[in-house]
Order: sequence, then structure tokens, then C-alpha cells
Amino acid sequence: MQPAKRNALVVIAAAAAGGYGFFRADNFWGLVVMGLVVIWALAFLLPTMDGPWRIKLGFVAALFAGAFIALWPTLESFSGGAFKCPSYVKDRISFGIAPGLDLRGGMRLVYTVEVEEAIRDKRDRYADEMRQELATIYGFHSGSGVVTREELAKLVGKVAVSTPDSAVIRVSFTDPGDLSKLDDRYNAKFKTELSMSRGPGAGAASFKIRTEVESAIREKAVSQAKDTVNKRVDELGLREASVTTRDEDIIIEVPGENKKAFEDIKDIIRRTARLEFKMLDEEGARDFFGSYKEADECRSGDGRCLPANQGFRVFDESAPNGPGKTVDSHFILVNKLPTETQSDCLKRVKEWAQAQVDAKLVPDDHEIGFEEHTDENNEANGWRTFFLYRRAEVTGDLITDASVQADQERMGQYYVAISFNQKGAERFEEVTGANVQRRFAIILDDQVNSAPVIRGKIGGGRASITLGGGDPEVQLQKARTLELVLRSGALPAPISPSNESNIGPSLGRDAIGQGVKGMLVGSGLVLAFMVLYYRKSGVVADVAVLFNLMLQMAILASFSATMTLPGIAGLALTIGMAVDANVLINERIREELRAGRSVRAAVEAGYEKAFPSIVDGHVTVFISGLILAQYGTGPVKGFAVTLLVGILASLFTGVFCTRLVFDWWVRGAKVKRLSVGAEF
Amino acid sequence: MEFFKPGRQFDFMGLRRVFFTLSAVLITGSITLMFVPGPNYGTDFRGGTEIEVAFNTDIDAAGVRSAVERSDFANPDVVQVVDAQNAHHFLIRVQDVTAIRDEDKDAIRRAMCLQKEGASPDEARCPPAARASEVKFSQGGDKIAARYDVDPDLKQIVAQIGAVGTVKLRPSATNPQITNPRDHRVEIQLQSKGDQLMDGLRKQLGASAVPDRALRVEWVGPKAGKQLRDSARNAVAISIVFIMLYLAFRFDLRFAPGVVIACLHDATIVLGVFIIFHKEVTLSTIAAVLTIVGYSMNDTVVVYDRIRENLTKHRGKTFAQIINLSVSETLSRTILTSGATMLSVLAFFIWGTGVIKDFALAMVVGIVVGTYSSIYVAAPLTEWIDAKMGKGGKTREVGKDAPKALAKA
Repeated sequence: MQPAKRNALVVIAAAAAGGYGFFRADNFWGLVVMGLVVIWALAFLLPTMDGPWRIKLGFVAALFAGAFIALWPTLESFSGGAFKCPSYVKDRISFGIAPGLDLRGGMRLVYTVEVEEAIRDKRDRYADEMRQELATIYGFHSGSGVVTREELAKLVGKVAVSTPDSAVIRVSFTDPGDLSKLDDRYNAKFKTELSMSRGPGAGAASFKIRTEVESAIREKAVSQAKDTVNKRVDELGLREASVTTRDEDIIIEVPGENKKAFEDIKDIIRRTARLEFKMLDEEGARDFFGSYKEADECRSGDGRCLPANQGFRVFDESAPNGPGKTVDSHFILVNKLPTETQSDCLKRVKEWAQAQVDAKLVPDDHEIGFEEHTDENNEANGWRTFFLYRRAEVTGDLITDASVQADQERMGQYYVAISFNQKGAERFEEVTGANVQRRFAIILDDQVNSAPVIRGKIGGGRASITLGGGDPEVQLQKARTLELVLRSGALPAPISPSNESNIGPSLGRDAIGQGVKGMLVGSGLVLAFMVLYYRKSGVVADVAVLFNLMLQMAILASFSATMTLPGIAGLALTIGMAVDANVLINERIREELRAGRSVRAAVEAGYEKAFPSIVDGHVTVFISGLILAQYGTGPVKGFAVTLLVGILASLFTGVFCTRLVFDWWVRGAKVKRLSVGAEF
Repeated sequence: MEFFKPGRQFDFMGLRRVFFTLSAVLITGSITLMFVPGPNYGTDFRGGTEIEVAFNTDIDAAGVRSAVERSDFANPDVVQVVDAQNAHHFLIRVQDVTAIRDEDKDAIRRAMCLQKEGASPDEARCPPAARASEVKFSQGGDKIAARYDVDPDLKQIVAQIGAVGTVKLRPSATNPQITNPRDHRVEIQLQSKGDQLMDGLRKQLGASAVPDRALRVEWVGPKAGKQLRDSARNAVAISIVFIMLYLAFRFDLRFAPGVVIACLHDATIVLGVFIIFHKEVTLSTIAAVLTIVGYSMNDTVVVYDRIRENLTKHRGKTFAQIINLSVSETLSRTILTSGATMLSVLAFFIWGTGVIKDFALAMVVGIVVGTYSSIYVAAPLTEWIDAKMGKGGKTREVGKDAPKALAKA
């Protein structure tokens, strides 16, 4: 026996043993790989042609088998169950081609944008601007650059800026005579967007957001929310989902039938992803939380009482408060009751906090923050409070990128690294520089994510968001979601689900049926025509085109791509190009035969001369596909991905695979005449 | 089987002036059509009216679609909604929207007593309860959102709108309706395309099949907003740059503009044909145009490749002769490939309906112009640039080493 054959037998035996091992370990893809290796080695044992040819043949055979397995479940679902796929295979392949909204339908989700929230947000920003302006008028602030918290603190006792209603800002001066400080310049700055009226009372002025400005805020909030949702949906890889607006609603149509996938999508769509960095007020916390007494020690007239039997307790902590200084501060911890979940508990805590705000116990420029509290086993058992300055020092809109990172020091822990743009980096550096040895809170969607101590000025515009303890798998999942939502930007206002329903295909079954008929007849005609024109070489070309289609679908299935009409267009184009590659080669071979070359030389020259044309055509289209995939969105991207996959498959099947057959004809079977549809 | 005798040469370039004029006319025509009357953008781009109806009788999507079409609403989107209560619950989207003319809007604003700031109101006609502080028209023209400073008097508002005459309120007990008592916001629904569509459905399907009221009638925004349009445009622009760079590297600078101009030529003409036939431009049309551009690019490059090969083989011939020779040599391939692609697309065109038929139409036109443009746009353009750059005369060798180097790699 030849050593090469002996080696092949050894490979087969080893792969078969490995395959059995993978089968026992229920490692499906390991088993598949071993199976493909066996096929490859078997092809090598064929008693024909030379070694390199047999290796190539084995590669093609193995690829065919692999593509078939990857496509098996998809074939079953496309044929409506007529083409059976064993459940052993089906259960282990999690991907497949999903027919798109136009072909099969999916789920329709309707969300309402809570535009009131966007208006309140804008109102708060006006209030901030007014505080800065007032600080300038009183001479506490230079008038250029961002006002510091210390400068704003000087306004206390002279003037207060409050927000009594969702579209109203009130400026109240302690000394009514100061009202004249709201000079023409001040009014001119806000006049176009706010309407001013005197009162209530002496020394106060009210500013109301003008109705047309309010309408503009509403419209902008909806269109921004739509863009953000669109980006998120795109990043999820659901290229063929559709996002539209309707009044103050956003309608998202997602293809497919997978319930679990829908849940994940809903999770990601709804995340507001509002990121803020706020400073802690430790002395304020000492006084504010310190003024509360737990229910059982609380007697009337003795400070403020916490609710009884609800897990509210006051704790002491030693908090850093500037270089070399600490303050004995307080915080409130609310333990989760045995019957409630973390989010129930949070709701309860928030209600309590709102009651304190309503009772005017919390100063206007402060707020209460909440962080999840964990016990010694790292399990969430309630929420703790922070006393925060209300003003966000840095906000999430200054982020340029977010990425999941594995923690170098603690195995299996992940965090999300974020980087700021120029402006954000400067703000971050300034704030951290001015607050060394103090704590700041990273707040994500109104929850304190963490409150680290600033060790020193942080330059370079980088920060990280931790994900708490827990299962690495879950953490990674959480980190990925966070990365995605931070990258796609925050929603301008929260959105709430208002309706969801399953919908049928938009193309109509009749239209799809006719489309399928058209496709079958069309491709049948093309295949028949090729055989008629090129005879046996036409058959080779047809097989190559069909193999190309199969490879392309298998690759798309492995991406879990969505198949829609634009996607099918991409498919049609690449099939056209696959046909074209074979036409180019066959025409060349004919030309060479006509020039009087031998069969073997004609095949050789035909491939060599057609190759540059084929490559140029494919590369040009590939380039445009690559760029459409990179910069395009939605259906354009879907089209481009299909195109890219198709181009690669077409080069492989049209040139590499057909060459194998021609080589076998001229060198193995040693034909005297080549069947290319013309006699020479 | 062969189409014509091998070795035969045709004088393609002899007719280049005729075809150049033809192309120029077609392009100018198409570009003009893009401004006047302009493309007929579908709901994908423009938004439209969406109604949700639960029919009383057994009907499928195809039935609803044809009833909508028979009621003179072109290209509707009909989608069935899975609903436990209503087995025949459909979403119907049409591109028609109700348009309120500007003078009607002014009349409504006046009738609803919308005042300029500071103007003193006519207290008799406009008591505070019927004096709107804001009047906003929905994009679909079927809704007015108004705000008042105090609790509004709905009866008086109905009377005010009724006096305008050119618009009608949608008859309903809950119209107008206070949507937000906090800031006294009122929603007033007007008769719209949605009502017209419901009437049409009643006529086509019988009054008993169609409920009195749609579950919802609303204007919907476009699927493909500015974002998609911008990103598609940028992507195309960037890919043109890169393709030119590639061609300049693989062939030489003279060849690069030809491919790009030919592609733009094809895309423009396809869009022109769409406008002439009053076809809706949808997201599928965009896909079709991209497909055509890809097809045309491939076709042009194949011809180019032969020109390059012949430039090295036949020195001493003029560029025009080389083009004639190259196009003739590749002619049977051109006919075969475009013929085969055409066959499959024609089948779609013959059996397809709606979107699929439009798609196939774009492809049919695209294949014809794509094949044509390789011969009569890209090649002559290259010759022209060659003449400008090389001052005419004999041909020079092009990209001599490149093809072999790549072929071996």
C-alpha cells in the first residue's frame, strides 16, 4: 500500500474515533467536523487522478456536506415539513434563514414615547441655563465656561430657580427689588423659547415654554427615539425589521417567530440608556439622612420618621470628603421584604423619596439616588440611598464608544469601557480634577450603577461601568446589551409598550406563490438554456450554479439572516454572476479550441485567460458590496451582505469547482473532444 | 450551438455618435423627469394612511388587497394581524394622505379663535372656553390637536369647525375629545382618506362585511427616513471612489470614469422609466437599482478586460478598432449572460404581481441598459479620455504586468 493511502486511512480512523468521542460528549459541531474530515480523506482514496486533485475534490465534497447540514433545518421549514430534518440535527442547530416581514410576517410592537418626560428634561435644562445666567448677573461667575457648583451655591439665599409645573420655570428672589436684575439681555436670551410673566407674588417671575417650542420638543423626541431604536435594531442584526412613527408612537415590526428572540429585542429597545455622572454631597447626606429616625425609635416631634415594618434603616458610613478629609455620613438602606422582588422594592423606595421631595424636604438642587445593595453572598437584598447634587456633571450624549472588556484582575468579571468625545473628556477631567478624594455616582437609567472615589484627575476621557457580581454568562450578556444601547445612544425620553400583535406577511401569499413560480420557471429556463448551448459543459456550469446557491444559503443561514425580497435580489445578482463566470470560461475554451489548441491546452488557457475578467468583475462588485454593508442601513445592508457572501461563493464554485470536472475530463478520462456545444 | 460565426467583427464604434446622442437624450430626459413630475415615492419613503379593520366576514389578504385596489388606492400594503377576538383583522396601508390646503388651515385657525400674542380677543365669539391657544394639524391631515387655557367647550368647538365648511368632522360621540385634561388638550378628528377607504371597502365587499368604524385610522411616518436615504447615498458615493481607485490600479486611469458613468447612466434611466410608468419608488426599487448597478459594473469590466488584453496584443490599431474587436469577441458572452439573466427576470415579470412585477420591470430595463452602456457608454468614454490624455494616435500598452500577477496569485 502506498504511504499516502495509508496516511488517509489513519486519518479516517482517527477522525471516526474523534467523532464518536464528540458524539458521546454531545458536541454536535465537533462531530460534524470529524465527519467532514472523514469525507475529505475518503475522497483521497479514490483510484483516479493525482493527489492534489483528490485533495481538492475531498475539500469540495466536505464543503458540500457541511453546507447541507447547516441548511438542513432551514430546508425543512422552507419546504413546509416535506423535506424532513432529523430532530437530532434540528435541536442542535440554533441558526437558520428566517423569512422576512414581506414573506412571512412577524411581530408588531407599538411603543408610546413619553414626550412629557422630554419636555421636563428640556425645562430642567432651561433652569440650569437660568441659574448660570443668574450667577453671572450676581457676579459669582465670569460668564464664560461652565459654571461650577461652588459658584451656584452662592445663589442660595438670594434667588431660587424652581420647576413647579412640567413646562414652567420659576425664578424667585428673596429681595423683591432684585427682580429688576432680570434685565433685557436676560429676557432676550430666553424670549424666543419661553414666555415670561410676573408673579406669583412679589419678586418672582414665571417662564413657560411656548406652545410651538413644546410641539417642536415633542416631535423631535419622537423622531430621535425612532432613530435610536432603528440603530439598535440594526446593531442586533435584524436587518429587515421596520421602524415607523405614528403620532407619538413608534411602531417596530420584527420578522420571525422566535418568542425568546422577541423578548431580548423588547429588552433592548426599551432601555432608555441614559447615563449621567453626578457628584455626591457627603455633608448634605450627613444632615439629610441623619435627620431621619427609624420607626421604633421615633417619637412624635422628634425629627423625621421612617416608615415602620418596611425594612427602612439608617446607617453610618465614613465618607471621603476631599484630600485628607472624611465625614461621618449617613445613608438609608431599604431591605427587600421576603415577599417582594428587587424592582418592587425599588418602586417602594422611589415612592418614599418622591414623598420627601413633595414635602419640600429635599433642596431643589439635590436628589436622592439609589444603588442596588448586595449581601455577603453577593445577592441583591435591597437598595441604599445616596444624596446627590441634581446637576449632571457629565452626560451620556458625550460618549463616542462603548465596548465590553474582561476584567484583568478578577476572572470571569466583565465591565463596559466607555470613551468620551473631546468635550466630554475635558468635562470629565475638569470635574475629577476638582473633586479628588470625593465620590461621584455613575447613574444609568435613574439607578446608581456605582459610586467610586475619585483618586486623582482622570484624563483621556475614559470611564468604565461595572456589572456587579454574579454568573459570568449572565454578566457577559448584560455587558453586551449595555454596550449596544450605549453605542446607539440614549432614548430622548422613556418609551412604554402600548400594543403588540403578530402580523402576517406584507407581500400576500398569492404574490409569494407567484414569485416562487417565477423563480422556478426562470431558473429552470436558465439551466436548460445552458445545457442546450454548452452541452456537458453546460451541465457542469448548472451544477456549479446550484452548488453556489446552496453555499450562499448555508452561509446566510449561519448568520441567521432574514430572507426578504431585496435579499433575494442580491441572490439573483450573484447567481447571474456565477452563470457569467462559467460563460466566460466556456467561451474562452471555445476560442482556444478554435485556435487549434489541444483539448488539454485549451482548458488550461481558457481558465487562465478568463480568470482576470472574472476576478475584476467580482472584485468590483465586492467592493461596492463591502461599502454598502459598512455604511448602509436596513434593507441596503441586507442586500449588501447577501451580495458579499454570493460573490465569494460564486468565485469558488464558478472557477475552483468546475475546474475539477474539466481537469478530470482532460487528464483522467482523457477525452478527445470536449463537449462545449460546438465542434472544432 | 453558436449565435454567429466566430471571428466576425462588427463596427460598433461607427455608430457611437448616434448612440451617444441617444444616451444623452435618455439621461437628460430621466433627470428632467426626476424634477418634473418627480419620482412617485411610496409609503416606505413618504408615509401614508394606515387603517386597522376587523372585517365581519371570512376574507384573506389577497381579497382585501384587491378590494382596496378596486377602490382606487394603488399599491396598498395589506397585512393580517393575528388577533384572538377578530379572526379577520387587517392593517391596510395606502400612500394617499388627506391634504388640508393652507387657506383651509388659516380658516380653521381663525374659526377656532387662535390669537396672535397680545391681540385682544373678540369675547362674544371667542369666550376663553372656545379660544384655542395652539392649533396643530397632523401630517395625515385627519386630526387637529388644539390646546386651551381653560376647560374647553366641546360643543362650541364643533360649531366653530362646522362653520368652516371645507372640512368635515368624523361623526362620533367621542369627537372632539379631551386627550389631556392637565393642559386642556383636545383632539378633533376630521373626515379623511381613511374614511374614504372604508367607504370604498363597503362598496366592494358589501356593507355587512365591513364594520361601521375602523379600529384605528392614522397617518404613519415613512419606514425609510432621512437616515436611510443619507446612508444609501453616502455608501454609493464612497463605493464609486473605491471602484475608481481599483480600476485605476488594475487597468489605468482612462478606464475608471467609464464604469462609474455607465452605472450612473443605468441607474438614472431605470428611475426615469419608473417615473414614466408612474411606478412607486419603494425600498425594493432601491434594491433593484443596486442590483442593476452591480450587474452593469460586472458587464463593463468584462469588456474592459478584453480591451486591455487586445491593447497589448494588437499594437498599431486605433483605440476605436480595438474596442470594435473586443466588443465583437465578447459579444457571444454578452448575449449569453444578459440573455440568461433576462430569461429569469422575464419569468418574474410575467407571473409576478405588485411589488415583484415592479421589481422585475426595473431589472428588465436595467439589464438592457446595463448591457448597452458597457458597449456604448463605457467604451467610447474610455476612447475619448484616451484621445484627450494621449492626444489620440496609436494605442499604448496598459497595465501590462497586473493581470498575470493576479492570475498567478
